[in-house]
Amino acid sequence: MTVTAILSDVATAPHVGDLWKTRHDKTRFQWSSLALLTPAFGLLAVLFLIPMGYAVYLGLTNLTLVGPTAIKWGFTGTQNLVRMKSDTEFWTSLWTTGFFIAGSILGVVVIGYGLASLLMRARPWMRIIVGGIVVIAWMMPAVTAGMTWYASTTGGGTFGTLTGLHNTNFLDNAPLLIVTLANIWSMTGFCMLVMGAALRNIPSEAIEAAVVENASPWQRFRLIVLPLMRPTIIAVVLLVALLSLANFSLIYIMTQGGPGTATNILPLYSYEQAFTFNNLAYGALIGNVMVIIASIFGVLYVRIAARS
Amino acid sequence: MKIMKKASLHKFIAGAAVMAMAGTAITLGGGAMTAGASSKVTISVAYAANTTFDTTPLGTTWWGQVKKEFEAQYPNVTVKLVAVQGGEPDFLTKLALLYHTASTAPTLAQFPSTEIALYASTDYLMPMNKYLATTSWFKEYPKVIQNEGLIKGNIYAVSSGENNVGLYYDKAILTKAGIKLPWQPKTWQDIITAAQAIKKAEPKVIPLWLNAGTAAGPNGAGYGILNMLAGSSTPTIQTSSGKMVVSSPGILQALNFYHTVFADGLGAPTSQLFSPNNAPNIPSTDFFKGTLGIAVSANFIGGNWTKQVSFPYWAQASTAMGVAGLPTASGKGYASTLSGWDYGISSGASAAQATAAENFMNVAQESTNLIDAGNWAGWVPPVQSDWTVPLYTNFAAPFNEEFGKLLPYSTELPSSSNYNVWVQGMEQVSGTIAQTPSTTGAQAMAQLKQYVTNQLGPSEVTTLK
Repeated sequence: MTVTAILSDVATAPHVGDLWKTRHDKTRFQWSSLALLTPAFGLLAVLFLIPMGYAVYLGLTNLTLVGPTAIKWGFTGTQNLVRMKSDTEFWTSLWTTGFFIAGSILGVVVIGYGLASLLMRARPWMRIIVGGIVVIAWMMPAVTAGMTWYASTTGGGTFGTLTGLHNTNFLDNAPLLIVTLANIWSMTGFCMLVMGAALRNIPSEAIEAAVVENASPWQRFRLIVLPLMRPTIIAVVLLVALLSLANFSLIYIMTQGGPGTATNILPLYSYEQAFTFNNLAYGALIGNVMVIIASIFGVLYVRIAARS
Repeated sequence: MKIMKKASLHKFIAGAAVMAMAGTAITLGGGAMTAGASSKVTISVAYAANTTFDTTPLGTTWWGQVKKEFEAQYPNVTVKLVAVQGGEPDFLTKLALLYHTASTAPTLAQFPSTEIALYASTDYLMPMNKYLATTSWFKEYPKVIQNEGLIKGNIYAVSSGENNVGLYYDKAILTKAGIKLPWQPKTWQDIITAAQAIKKAEPKVIPLWLNAGTAAGPNGAGYGILNMLAGSSTPTIQTSSGKMVVSSPGILQALNFYHTVFADGLGAPTSQLFSPNNAPNIPSTDFFKGTLGIAVSANFIGGNWTKQVSFPYWAQASTAMGVAGLPTASGKGYASTLSGWDYGISSGASAAQATAAENFMNVAQESTNLIDAGNWAGWVPPVQSDWTVPLYTNFAAPFNEEFGKLLPYSTELPSSSNYNVWVQGMEQVSGTIAQTPSTTGAQAMAQLKQYVTNQLGPSEVTTLK
């Protein structure tokens, strides 16, 4: 390349001053991007916003599955909200849901991490066998998991045989605890896989340096492993919370929300109102509460992830 | 020739007039005329594929048989069978959704009697008084069954079979317990005394099966506590003004009976009572295994032991088992709930379709078909004369005949959305007593009142003194 050509390129290149005119530290908006976003927005509107808006509207009506207001139904304002405020079953159900979710998160994270940590140290063949068994439990359909746990925890089941209390009906004696354990059992495999991957990504140098510095195992876990695992744990907590919130099948198979209302979590209470009591509108309103709870988890996740 | 011409002219005018009148009639008649003998009519018939008959294949066979017979008799009508899959709650949801849209509403549907008032209040059903007045079989229904679909003077649905409840007992176990056979308790105390004797003589046997809890869905109470309520001093569930009774001497009597049974350790374990796996049918397997003494159970248990149903097949059941009426609390007569499966014609059906649906019912209600349905679905046929026909009595002897005799003592269950809530509350408190036998009848009734009032509001419930 000749000197003339180089000078010509320099002349036609954007001036340094021009480059400064375009701010790269501020969010820019390009109208053309709207066209590119349209298909995604269309899908979002059809599959989420419109059904969600309709569900919110239904929650404020008197629509029933059968009965006089199944055909001639209409907007009733805050009537269902007022009812919900004084509906003791709803508040009991909300509390039950909270216990079920919190218990599931605690169990899944602790057991999932424990298994992942142990399998890191295990021999390869053992890792394959134990890992495989746990993952099978995770992949099992809710119906199968529910029936397995039902058979194991009622009188004459595996729990009774193992504990020597043959005719004890664990499921009916402690229903919420048992369905929470069943949920933990079915989700631990997922947690173990994710935690295992995250553990393998922790730099060995950091652990080795801590060992050299005489850090105890607890200090290594608290000061190195836990901070590095934080994004993974948050993701697992959120997903377990959302999956547990929507876990209708497992409890329906095991207890149908009973005995009494002992395991009647919000999805089951919503179903009961909509399809057993025919109150579609009130069932929709309870469903909307579940969406709000799920949204809170979602927002928390996004904020914590962004901060991380 | 003139005369001939005149006659021909008259014939032509008369013929033209007839043709014109017929044309006008066809034009004005619209849909009705298209139902003429030569026009094709299609009707849809919806039924529960997996819940009404004792086994799904028996249901498929019966519906296929009736359709075949009907289409042979009425070649201009095509029947489209809509077999709705799933359990009873799934069926009811699907049927409600089918009715919701005019194009999918079944011309004829078979559904539980507890849904009649709900569908009628939604204007889904057509009154069938005129049609029923012309049939020979409806006249043979006992009054209680005739009135099953009667709402404000109109009959919206007609029974195809009924379930009632009585006492089954294992003769060998009762003999070991020192109870004289045939056993017919006169009061509720007699039942408790017999159960206590069984517990003493055969400690490993469940003395008395009383359905409790919510596992069996809304029907569970109908096979359990509502029978005690039906035999109590105040059996009212819903008042004439539509209010649900949440506190009454009768409810207290029934709940106190439950309390006595479970507090004395006479009832079945909750692992069986709360089983989501078909709890009302468990007595048939427990009796077969010799682990149950007495059961308050529905008529279909006897049919369960037949070869066709095999739940399980037990050839000796006819001699090993006995049946007795469930006495009332006062000892006067027997008590039982009554619930059936009924046919209803869609209010959206055209005149031609309604006629075809009525004709379809006539075929379905022919004696052989009605008894086959009774035998295969575990129903007492609604036609009284069928209760002594060998085709019915021999199918599950002596149970079928005995439950036919008990049917006139039965009372219908209400049909309303509020009843669905009330019955859920009743099942919950019966389950509470079974699980925590220290719960007294009064405590359980207070729970019932709290639950139903919370769900329906104070204006929808009432207390009877």
